[in-house]
Amino acid sequence: MIRIFDIAAKDLMQILRDRKTFLFLLIMPIAFTFLFGFAFGGFSKGVSDPRLPVAIINQDGGDLSLRLVNLLENSEVITITQDAAKTLADYEKLLTKGNLAGILIIPTGYTDALLTGSLPPLSLEANITQTAGTTIQSEILAAANRLTSAVQTALIVGQTSSAFGPAFEQALSAWDNPPIRIESTSAVVQTGPKVSSQVAALAQTSPAMMLQFAIAGLLTCGAVIVNERKTRSLQRLLTTATRRSHILLGHYLAIFVLLFAQFLVLMTFGQLFLKVDYFRQPAATLLVAVASSLCIAALGLLIGVFAKNEEQAIAFSLIPMFLFSGLGGAWTPLEYTSATFQAIGHVTPVAWAMDGFKNITVRLLGFESVLVPCAALAGYAVLFFLLAAWRFRRVSE
Amino acid sequence: MLQNAIEVKNLHKAFGDLKAVDGVSFEVAQGEIFSLLGPNGAGKTTTISMLSCLLRPDEGDALVMGHSIKDDQMGVKSVLGVVPQEIALYNDLSARENLTFWGKMYGLRGPALRSRVDEVLEIIGLTERAKDRVGKYSGGMKRRVNIGVALLHKPQVIYMDEPTVGIDPQSRRNILDSVVALKNQGMTVLYTTHYMEEAQELSDHIAIMDIGKVIAYGTNAELVKIVGQMDRITLTINAESGRVLEAWKKVQGVKQVTAQDGTLTVLADDSNQVLPRLFETSALNGVRITTVAIQEPNLEAVFLHLTGKALRD
Repeated sequence: MIRIFDIAAKDLMQILRDRKTFLFLLIMPIAFTFLFGFAFGGFSKGVSDPRLPVAIINQDGGDLSLRLVNLLENSEVITITQDAAKTLADYEKLLTKGNLAGILIIPTGYTDALLTGSLPPLSLEANITQTAGTTIQSEILAAANRLTSAVQTALIVGQTSSAFGPAFEQALSAWDNPPIRIESTSAVVQTGPKVSSQVAALAQTSPAMMLQFAIAGLLTCGAVIVNERKTRSLQRLLTTATRRSHILLGHYLAIFVLLFAQFLVLMTFGQLFLKVDYFRQPAATLLVAVASSLCIAALGLLIGVFAKNEEQAIAFSLIPMFLFSGLGGAWTPLEYTSATFQAIGHVTPVAWAMDGFKNITVRLLGFESVLVPCAALAGYAVLFFLLAAWRFRRVSE
Repeated sequence: MLQNAIEVKNLHKAFGDLKAVDGVSFEVAQGEIFSLLGPNGAGKTTTISMLSCLLRPDEGDALVMGHSIKDDQMGVKSVLGVVPQEIALYNDLSARENLTFWGKMYGLRGPALRSRVDEVLEIIGLTERAKDRVGKYSGGMKRRVNIGVALLHKPQVIYMDEPTVGIDPQSRRNILDSVVALKNQGMTVLYTTHYMEEAQELSDHIAIMDIGKVIAYGTNAELVKIVGQMDRITLTINAESGRVLEAWKKVQGVKQVTAQDGTLTVLADDSNQVLPRLFETSALNGVRITTVAIQEPNLEAVFLHLTGKALRD
């Protein structure tokens, strides 16, 4: 087992002696973060509101519906739009264009129904297959539950103690029927700010360039593995009591450590100098960084075992860099693209990594919001690693 | 106690239709230098690869210090040092860093590793250049580090696969001396080469390989006896070899005549008696002999005798 660490330490020594490593892993991402940051208005003065925009059509107009709107207005996750001049059709157009993340309809009779102890359904149009849709759903559900339970409690308290049993049953049964009905839509969901703002723009470009150049930097890592094979040092390693699996894991560990260190340095840089709030949720941020590093390191391993020479290692690093970055939303936020492009984008690991980072820094979501992106990244890591292991077995025989 | 360091039993290895190793068997006694001699493509490196557990034989087995290459690969690797044909080193690391890394791969740690690295640097004569990157070394220096790596863990058996290919005469001399030194330290050396002189100079026993088979096996003296102490006469002429080839075969005292790349090779009992007859016959055929070289019986002649072709690249 200790040989895994010996091989990783040797690899790191080799990789760090290559000046291209620093160029790709540190200098280029910082330079391009500034470049793209300027392009997206990251250094212009603007008001940042990273919350998800949700339109409300209040058909009820009663006290309790207004209280619900009031609760949602104070949300840290969604921002409310209400315009009496706009119809449902108008809002649906905005939803389709991606200018809205959801439409909440509070039906007529909502207040009366609540006061009589029943649970009138709310109606939400959003794409609940995406993170933003489920986030809105959770937030509205939480606010509606809060309001409903308050009403139920008030009603129960207003009854005599002799009627405790039926009142309790009534309060308990109140939770059996959810107070919201979701209507899923395939419309594009606007998960970012409506306009480019300083923080949001840099929160887009900082992780985007970090991920993009992490992949580009794989060319030096891949070259180390290629050269090991080319000089027949790999064959020599296999004449020692070192297992193939240990050699593979040693290389993987080296790339992972390198990328994770890169992420830590660049996230710290982003936090201190670009005001991108990576450490708002430190555990979530670290989890995304670890998952991204595991995934990209496995890709590096795959490149190293597939490339036959250094030129191929360079090509095999740059091709996924362009492909994954372009499709995965590193150049243009996926929120600004069509639903089809978003779906295609999420075939790449970069899209999931971007989701993870932006859920923390742009959408201001909690730890749970990075679990799905991290699971997807872990899945890619396993896939890439298994492919690399299969290929490594063949090339080392 | 084991008599033989290596026992090879009927090894077979094919790559598609090509039989790279075809029923190879031999034994190497402990503490001796054993050479596998043969031209490129004879199957030497494939044999070494199987004995190093890099390739799995299709058939047969071999024991290295009693460990089976099929069933106890880790056991084989623990007693083995391999000097591959290529410079299997990390060019961007220094000699010391290379040796330290490889020492760890051989299971050495801490002070024992550090002192052994120092010893090996001394043995290969690179203490002064230990901090320089291997990529900046000359070919000969790289070869020395390449050998040094295999010595780190003081193995009982060392395989050296054509370690003198492509280096200058001085470095070659150093390597041959170091092989003898290893033997004197009690190590068993399995040496592959296509240079007949190296096999003759170093080996206690020699196996001559061609087309995947061992075609002759024994000491140098035993092998030379195969050609019956015949002299080898190498000649070039100013015409097509076909003009004298058949006539020379009929000359009294000539045992064999072969032509390759414009050079004629004649095996004869006594070159002093045969040579005037060869001149006479060629004159009768209107051919002029331009160069002559006479060589006493050696492994080259043995190979020529057994295969009908010269032992060369």
